[in-house]
Amino acid sequence: MKKRNRLEIIKDILKIIQDNHNSIKITPLLRKSNISSKRFYEYIKELQNKGFVMKIERKIKITKKGMSYLEKYSSIVGFIEEFGL
Amino acid sequence: MPIQHITGRAMGEFSNKMGKIAAIGFGTEIIYSFVIIICCLMIYFGTRKLYELSLYKGIKYFRVSFLLFALAYFSRSIVKFSTIIFNDHSLFGIHPQILASISSFIFMYLSSIAIFYLLYSIIWKKFNHKIIHYSFYILAFMISIISISSRNLLTHLYINLFLLGLAFAIIYAANKLTKKKKTSNMYTIYLLLSTFWILNIIDTFIPDFLQSFQLLIYLASLGIFLSILYKVLTKIGS
Repeated sequence: MKKRNRLEIIKDILKIIQDNHNSIKITPLLRKSNISSKRFYEYIKELQNKGFVMKIERKIKITKKGMSYLEKYSSIVGFIEEFGL
Repeated sequence: MPIQHITGRAMGEFSNKMGKIAAIGFGTEIIYSFVIIICCLMIYFGTRKLYELSLYKGIKYFRVSFLLFALAYFSRSIVKFSTIIFNDHSLFGIHPQILASISSFIFMYLSSIAIFYLLYSIIWKKFNHKIIHYSFYILAFMISIISISSRNLLTHLYINLFLLGLAFAIIYAANKLTKKKKTSNMYTIYLLLSTFWILNIIDTFIPDFLQSFQLLIYLASLGIFLSILYKVLTKIGS
């Protein structure tokens, strides 16, 4: 299996939340994200700090900024590949 | 006819011709500088959203390099215009020579760092240390000081040839390290950009050195910047 980079993992996590009606409990999100729990919580903290997700009670909810990241993801990756960054 | 009248008429004709040449050169400089600055700023602001969402370091260094190119070109414009327009007249009490020296230092410093950051944007994954950033600033400062303080044009030329050699080496190494060959076109563009940038620096400090090729260099530089801008805008829009 090809190793995912940071941007791809963030995209996958946000996509899981979006596919679950924009809100999901932490445990199923951890299971579906396919990364270790330590790294998962690090990513969730990062996503919260960046404003991509919100923690409401025991659920993780995607924000508008998180949706924007998903929309722009292909542009971001395409840009990085095009310019060799 | 007295000799003074003939000499005066000849001098008048010569002044008119030089005035026309200066006017053409001045107009070209304005258009050239304006287009380059606008291109660079459009690249910088156009990629803002991509960086804000991803916080990807490669995009950050890429953006910063073009912002620095824009600022360097602004400084270059001041150097060029102060020598053409102000000549022997001071601006706000500052002698044009002093203004040109300060602007030249700023231009050299910013353009050196811009080149370093553009090159770093393609190799940062392999060499991700803070000390590399500090070395950029120190090296750029040293290059600027030597360029300004040295009265020997050859020294200035060697410094810029060193920068160009460094750019070639880094771009070649980066091209070899990457597995994705489809990006090799961008490395060619970066190489050309670095080359024409260095030629612009040489042109600023040694105006007569590339006089015959100046227009060609300007057109090629514009072409390179516009092609990068086009690629950026198409990728942002996609």
